[in-house]
Amino acid sequence: MSSKAPEKEKDKDKSKVHRLSLKGSAKLVAEFFQYSIHTILFQRGVYPAEDFTTVKKYGLNMLVSADDQVRAYIKKIMSQLDKWMVGGKISKLVIVITDKDTGEHVERWQFDVQIFSKAAQPKAKSQPASSTTDDNQNQSPNENAAASTTASTPAPPLDKTEAEIQAEIAAIFRQITASVTFLPQLSGDCTFNVLVYADADSDVPVEWGDSDAKEIANGERVQLRGFSTTNHRVDTLVSYRLAD
Amino acid sequence: MVTVTNMATPSVTTPKKSHTGLFSSRTAGGRVPLTPSPHHNANVNSSPFNKDKTSNDGQRVPAKTVYPGNISSQLARAASTKTNWDSPKSNIARGASTPKKALELGVSEFSLTGTGAQAQEQTQTAPTPKPKKTKIKAKPIKTTVTLNADRFIPNRGSSSAIANGGSGKLNMRDQKRPKSRNGESSNSTALVTPADDATEQLEFDSLLLDDDEAETYARPSPNTVAYQDSLANACGMNVNTRILQFKPAPPESSKPIDLRQQYNRPLKAANSSAQFRRRVATAPERVLDAPGLIDDYYLNLLDWSSGNQVAIGLERNVYVWSADEGSVNCLLETSPDTYVSSVKWSGDGAYVGVGLGTGEVQIWDVAEGIKIRSMFGHDSRVGVMGWSKHLLSTGARSGLVFNHDVRIAEHKVAELVSHTSEVCGLEWRSDGAQLATGGNDNLVSIWDARSLAVPKFTKTNHKAAVKALAWCPWNINLLATGGGAYDRHIHFWNTTSGARVNSIDTGSQVTSLRWSPHYREIVSSSGYPDNSLSIWSYPTLVRNVEIPAHESRVLHSCLSPDGQMLATAAADESLKFWKIFEKKAGSGAGISGAGTSSKATMAKQMTIR
Repeated sequence: MSSKAPEKEKDKDKSKVHRLSLKGSAKLVAEFFQYSIHTILFQRGVYPAEDFTTVKKYGLNMLVSADDQVRAYIKKIMSQLDKWMVGGKISKLVIVITDKDTGEHVERWQFDVQIFSKAAQPKAKSQPASSTTDDNQNQSPNENAAASTTASTPAPPLDKTEAEIQAEIAAIFRQITASVTFLPQLSGDCTFNVLVYADADSDVPVEWGDSDAKEIANGERVQLRGFSTTNHRVDTLVSYRLAD
Repeated sequence: MVTVTNMATPSVTTPKKSHTGLFSSRTAGGRVPLTPSPHHNANVNSSPFNKDKTSNDGQRVPAKTVYPGNISSQLARAASTKTNWDSPKSNIARGASTPKKALELGVSEFSLTGTGAQAQEQTQTAPTPKPKKTKIKAKPIKTTVTLNADRFIPNRGSSSAIANGGSGKLNMRDQKRPKSRNGESSNSTALVTPADDATEQLEFDSLLLDDDEAETYARPSPNTVAYQDSLANACGMNVNTRILQFKPAPPESSKPIDLRQQYNRPLKAANSSAQFRRRVATAPERVLDAPGLIDDYYLNLLDWSSGNQVAIGLERNVYVWSADEGSVNCLLETSPDTYVSSVKWSGDGAYVGVGLGTGEVQIWDVAEGIKIRSMFGHDSRVGVMGWSKHLLSTGARSGLVFNHDVRIAEHKVAELVSHTSEVCGLEWRSDGAQLATGGNDNLVSIWDARSLAVPKFTKTNHKAAVKALAWCPWNINLLATGGGAYDRHIHFWNTTSGARVNSIDTGSQVTSLRWSPHYREIVSSSGYPDNSLSIWSYPTLVRNVEIPAHESRVLHSCLSPDGQMLATAAADESLKFWKIFEKKAGSGAGISGAGTSSKATMAKQMTIR
């Protein structure tokens, strides 16, 4: 898995430095996923609030489940996710909240991962901030602005400091926390599932199996913030069932 | 080729509507549109070209130069390719009714002008790309060319189908289109779309497939690709990625959740329930040697009186340590043929009951240092005792429990028959209405003081001997019982209904249990393998802290009269004092202080004959 990454990057000389940072970035993203899962489980009431305990992370008080079973479950997911992340096999992580009684998917949190590999690098990385505010249609007045931002910002955040990345991540968690204000009240018992969009050639352990996308039928979507590291960009999107 | 154009023709007319629809939904609140369809995508992508196609060449050139920017290696290649074909193509394009013109119209599906005539024109000119293709194929860079030549609308559809595997790609495409135009060299205006499509295709290949050009060659035809992609898209799948689910079911939630409650709760309360705020001293306050402490789970050799004295039985001796003064006195020494098997202070703290290996029970006046009386009856060692005012209950190895009224000569007032094996746990409820006993037969018996013929409840849930018993100080109906090495559980009982209300798997032998009088907590001491003290919140059953207490199993524990300190005696022959329930400064300290002092003045209320 990890052997594949160096194959792709042919610059073997600087591969040492580069790979380390890629690995570090993958770890950082994976860790972000882990806290995201905990946060969503807490904020959306999948498990009772008493089960959660606070830890300091990203300059925030993050709520993390203290329940042994839940911890073990997430740990198992993360152990595989870490490998996939380092191998660059994942394009999305999705947390689906499902109503236990009806089996209906009521909420879907999607984290899109982009890897700034050398081939993809120069491409204008999607920036949700600009794409949601600027309209892609009315190109004539906005295009200059759009083009200039695409030229400057995504041209990778090479020298983004640790603190800046942490601040970006903290902003996402604040947004996730704040999202309870517009997300519909979840009624009844809910459970959750974790999906990943992995490359077709990924190694898949037995605990993981093919699934449908578990999309929300006629759902509303809200794009949240994203963050980027030297090697990855993660965007957050929540979709939810509209109140009847 | 014919089919290609056929597919193209309908798409010329349709997408115009959705274009505007998409536009408005995007402006509203910055929300991403609902599941994007290829149409949307095509729209977004093509929008810049609308303008380009309708405008003339002269306008187009400056529009391009506005976007200088870094060009990817692939874009650069595409651009260089374009310049190669530049002359023939642009020539064609400038001719009024030349094939190129037709091609251009075909590409700009959403051109504002009427479609009927163009469609016709398009079908007529459809074959024209063919010769072009062969011609260009001779050139070294094949990939782009192949795509370029075969490309008509379906190709775009196919690339957008790939992109549509998830909505997340939408943005990227939106951004990319203007960007990729950077690659154009200024004079190759007619080639805008082909170049774009080609680079786009390449980019998606590299992004999604991690493929090299070989893959692109292998593609049978755009039709097939488009079909596959649309099929995959219709199924909500992407051919190149797998959606994987972590299959094991997530753990069940311990209870139903009402989020309203959660959100409305004051933040502070939520925090204190989620986090253990109290600071617990995890180091012992004091360590005393307890040489000769018998390593026997079934004995009860440690007790702390209401007068703040600690009695401990060490082989044949009983020592009394005054917590106030720190002095140690040897209270008694048994005859050489036996040993001390249990010690228990009377409620007033004036007397200590001493059970012996022979079955004899002695009562000592500690202040005087004299034995008041001996009570016989048991024929086996008395491992556990409990006082309720003037009643002393003694549990013996035989399984029998006797109640002794210590005031009268005929001391034995009741015989409690339930256990079939050694009784090692015995605890009176504070009001004296109920008595709980636990034995080596794994039973917990709960007795009603008014009818001692049979136990009110007999609980068989434990799978090992039950030594640890504790009545909750704030809920009189609540009893906690802890099982031995094969059981490791703490069960909580409602002793009025007999129902088990909670359980904890502690992971090790439970040797004693003590409720905190001040906190909603209970402390358990454990034997193998942890030898630790654990403080549990009740009723959340969260283990607040675990203190590695002793080097070998903790045998006995008792609380100080003010409820703040726990004394533990362990098989490592040490006696340790832990300030685990330390009260916060100024919170009710006066009350309990008064309580202890009043108890001290109440000393020696009983007359023991």
